[in-house]
Amino acid sequence: MTPLVSVNSLSVAYRSGGRRIPVVHEVSLEAAAGRTLALVGESGSGKSTLAAALLGHLRHGSHVTGGSVTVDGRDVFALSAPELRRLRGRTVAMVAQNAGQALTPSMRVGRQIAEAGGDIPVTELLDQVRLPRPAELARRYPHELSGGQQQRVALAMALAARPKVLVLDEPTTGLDVVTQRGVLDLIAALRDELGLAAVLVSHDLGVVAHLADEVCVLQSGRVVESAPTRQLFALPEQPYTKRLLASVPRLDDAGLALVRETGEREIRPKAVVPEDAPIAVSARDITVDYGSSRAVHGVSFAVRRGEVLALVGESGSGKSTLAWALAGLRTPSGGAMSHESGDLARPAQRRPMSLRRRVQLVFQNADTSLNPRRSVGDAIRRPLRFFGTASGRTESAERARQLIADVRLDPALADRLPAQLSGGQRQRIGIARALAGEPDVLIADEITTALDVSVQADVLHLVDDLRRERDLACLFISHDLAVVRGIADRVVVLRGGVVVEEGPTEAVFSAPQHPYTCRLMAAALEPDPDAQPPVEATPDWADAAQEGEVWTDHGGGHRARRWRPAGTPDDNPTAPVAEGVS
Amino acid sequence: MLSFVARRTVAALGTLLLSSLLVFLAVQALPGDVATQVLGRDATPQAVAELRGSLGLDRPAFERYGDWMWGALHGDFGTSLVSGTAVGGDVAQYLGNSALIALITILFAVTGSLLLGILAGLYRDRWPDHLISTVSLVGMSVPEFVVATVLVLCFSVALPWFPAVVLYGPDATVGQLLPAVWLPALALAVVMAAYIVRMARTSVIDVMASEYVTTARLKGLSTWRVVTRHALPSALLPVLHVIALNVAWLLGGVAVVENVFNYPGIGKLMLSSVQNRDLPVVQAIALISAVVYVVCNLAADLGAMALNPRLRTRGRTR
Amino acid sequence: MTTVDTVRADAPAPRAARAWRTLRSSRAAVVGLAIVAVHVVIALLAPLLTSYDPIAGNASQALLGPGGAHWAGTDQYGRDVLARVLYGGRYALGVSVAATVVSVALGTVIGCATALRGGWFDDVTGRVLDAVLAIPAVLALLVVVTALGTGPAVIVLAVAVVFVPQVVRVVRGAALAVVPADYVTAARARGEGTWSILRREILPNIVDVVCVEFAMRASWVVLLISSLSFLGFGADPPTPDWGLMVAENRTAITVVPMASVAPIIALATLVIGLNLAADGLSKAWGVDRITEGF
Repeated sequence: MTPLVSVNSLSVAYRSGGRRIPVVHEVSLEAAAGRTLALVGESGSGKSTLAAALLGHLRHGSHVTGGSVTVDGRDVFALSAPELRRLRGRTVAMVAQNAGQALTPSMRVGRQIAEAGGDIPVTELLDQVRLPRPAELARRYPHELSGGQQQRVALAMALAARPKVLVLDEPTTGLDVVTQRGVLDLIAALRDELGLAAVLVSHDLGVVAHLADEVCVLQSGRVVESAPTRQLFALPEQPYTKRLLASVPRLDDAGLALVRETGEREIRPKAVVPEDAPIAVSARDITVDYGSSRAVHGVSFAVRRGEVLALVGESGSGKSTLAWALAGLRTPSGGAMSHESGDLARPAQRRPMSLRRRVQLVFQNADTSLNPRRSVGDAIRRPLRFFGTASGRTESAERARQLIADVRLDPALADRLPAQLSGGQRQRIGIARALAGEPDVLIADEITTALDVSVQADVLHLVDDLRRERDLACLFISHDLAVVRGIADRVVVLRGGVVVEEGPTEAVFSAPQHPYTCRLMAAALEPDPDAQPPVEATPDWADAAQEGEVWTDHGGGHRARRWRPAGTPDDNPTAPVAEGVS
Repeated sequence: MLSFVARRTVAALGTLLLSSLLVFLAVQALPGDVATQVLGRDATPQAVAELRGSLGLDRPAFERYGDWMWGALHGDFGTSLVSGTAVGGDVAQYLGNSALIALITILFAVTGSLLLGILAGLYRDRWPDHLISTVSLVGMSVPEFVVATVLVLCFSVALPWFPAVVLYGPDATVGQLLPAVWLPALALAVVMAAYIVRMARTSVIDVMASEYVTTARLKGLSTWRVVTRHALPSALLPVLHVIALNVAWLLGGVAVVENVFNYPGIGKLMLSSVQNRDLPVVQAIALISAVVYVVCNLAADLGAMALNPRLRTRGRTR
Repeated sequence: MTTVDTVRADAPAPRAARAWRTLRSSRAAVVGLAIVAVHVVIALLAPLLTSYDPIAGNASQALLGPGGAHWAGTDQYGRDVLARVLYGGRYALGVSVAATVVSVALGTVIGCATALRGGWFDDVTGRVLDAVLAIPAVLALLVVVTALGTGPAVIVLAVAVVFVPQVVRVVRGAALAVVPADYVTAARARGEGTWSILRREILPNIVDVVCVEFAMRASWVVLLISSLSFLGFGADPPTPDWGLMVAENRTAITVVPMASVAPIIALATLVIGLNLAADGLSKAWGVDRITEGF
């Protein structure tokens, strides 16, 4: 069978300041009908450029410097404008990375789908992507849909003219795990139903393992390795692929994985927190309100020195709100927070200096957490001087260099601006800045979410090292169960601002008790095509907590919120979700 | 949706009230006693005091402000100190004449500049863009009086097609004024269009680079459809407020251009009344300008609502 | 994947050098700034460039066309047009620069403060500034000038009244984009004061916006001041000023076109220079001018 899509030693470059910078270098690949080809790579691997090239689209300033792309027997870069237009949509269609931005805000989604062509009624298409009440939904504007719904609409739009090839550019990035799982299953079902050739672009090896038949690993615009999925995941040949695979945290890791140059994994056992370790920070019945809506409903937890406590949940679970409340950036409306050396109820400005410096926050996005106009050394020196942990210019400069070395970076980077560092380096500087106050509580708010998987592994290691070296109490906030599994000693699972389950990491992961935890774990994707979900599909449930009888205890500090099986689904992922964007 | 309109309207009224207060206070600060000015320097103190009393100048400022606003709400702006006639009627007459220029200017400047701006944005970095951008740069770099002077030189002196100055008073008919309207309108349109062209261009470029426009293109839609259906509604959004500001600006710009052509419009009245310290007229003109500004902005807000479904379905925070 | 990440970019250059490099990459900015610089030099060196007195007239030499003695001819009072144009830049540049500096400085401080403080302070300031904006610039200027006289200081004040609200709008918008950034949050979490956050975290990140704003605002100020002079409310008659010159010589435009055209050219080139600079800077520094009204 001739492949529907074939790329023959394609090279793409863009021009910047008179120089030609290659983004894709002599890449060849093929995709056949009914099969899924995945393009995998970290940021800057050229995978998105390649995906757009399949539709004959190049970004402003880019051009093809060699090779060709053939789709359904036609060379896309040799087509005339009208021919190319006919090719797009009818032969090859694309689902863009971020459906929220890929849908025209001023147009009803029904019309956007309809104009994509084809003879299939819009309602039928919406029904096909498993959206409820299609007739009513078609009249909505994109901003009236939830993220998952937007992605489904984008999918319906791509399928409207019944293309032969579907290009999916990071189709589930930014979606919650449960929603992601739903969208991926839908894509797989539609691919089989319509006999499409799918080209999936992703950085997420779990997604790839779940969906792809063949995988093509890209690095800096070149193909590193290309193989059938099972073979690639079982027996990767190239060191880069091995390292990439080994860097992905897994749900059954008992500790952080140490990845060698050759790609071997070694699990480092977790640090043992002594029984008598003092409690560094504790929260009791915290509630936080945003105007009239309550983001956190009475959450309690305590973190001991040297311990990592993970707060896990999807977006809107209130986990980041809790972090901000603890850091003094948002005043809780009820409950009490306290530190060994004082009360944390007040906002940061009104906490005593000695207390303020002891609770430090590391931000999610390293790109925006450092002032782009100040050198990274300056970013670290400022809290040193401000908190008085270093006196004098020379001492603070010396301490700043030391802190940069402590986060395993070259102290010579102190004179750089944030833009001159990589994402991982910036995140380390963010950690160094937090350490400048000599804290004993470190709040890490999704600190690895924006990082590539190999960089993520390094940063996680750093956090683990630091808490051992400095006996830090660490509140680790994440949506990624596999990451939490490796680093946390105890886990608190949040949903809608309520704790549904908490306990030692081992206990919660080996025997989750609350159906929501089970659902999260079932939806998590392992980088293994043959992985079985760690838990069975979950029953629908309803909250059954009552005054005085909130918990069912499972021993050893492991407890789950009371629940009962319910007839009606309570949290259908496709239910309309009002987005709380202010 | 209604709450959005209501909130904007209330805010607009607040702005209006505040500017009227500012205008009143500023005008009060103008030096020279009105009564002395009306009666001349030789007037007896008694006559001055009498006039002050009859004009109500001896009362506290806030009372006078209240009276003035109350009158203004009923269309009574007081009596002109110079002509002795009702300010409302005078101003209305001049305003009508200016409206003739404004209407023609807006019609040509807005449609023309939008077309040019969109064209420049779509042909970014190619010759139509370079041409339009350069011309608009020159357009916004020369003051109105220069454009007006050059136009007179070209179309009244070199080619005697249009009158260089208007010889009629404020009570001229539309028929009498019509031949004299074109040059002032053209002068204003050139300056006004320059800003709108640039804004439309930037906005179109921004939106054409957005992900949803790329998606629409990759759906295989024709360029025409991509531009008109997907890009323009969002691209026009920021342009709306610039148009509103420019329309409001016309009232100021018109002062200069009308002066060049001796056109009996509101701008000319503004200049002469400031020169003559005819305070009731100055106040009335300022208030009317503020109304125009506020109404233009409100119209832009409503236009934005028509273009942006987000505003229709949910309130907007500032 | 080594523990110490490899060095990526080349050695950092000082901030000023970097700003200059990006600036040089934009031809428009360089040309614009060069034009403005030429104007400044001419204004400063005017006495060396011409031997004529720009104010003293010579009735016997009135309304001459361009010739050997008077390169650009003379006006109705027999004053040398070229000398008046050369000296005219002094008034235009001096008053405009002063007025622009005052407006932009005040606007920047107020704009940043409103963005950072937010709440009622922001609301009230916004209302008041909107109310000022609602009054046409020319009228506001005329009222201030009539009230306080036509001295340069008054004009500077009047221009500030008109332009501060607009600068505040733009700067507030730019600062609002910076305020939610995590590094500002980090400074807040440290408990730093408003002024310190403003100076250390916010201002350095909107310097480019302020620079572009300065260049653009300057071009409008020049236009506005020349219009004011043209209307007879700006520079007092014998003073050499471009707007005034056009007003004086407009009636004789058919007899001595140079007397009107020369100041027009001077005025237009200065404003084009400023606009080019503003455009080039905004492009080179990636400042989004879309947020700016007119």
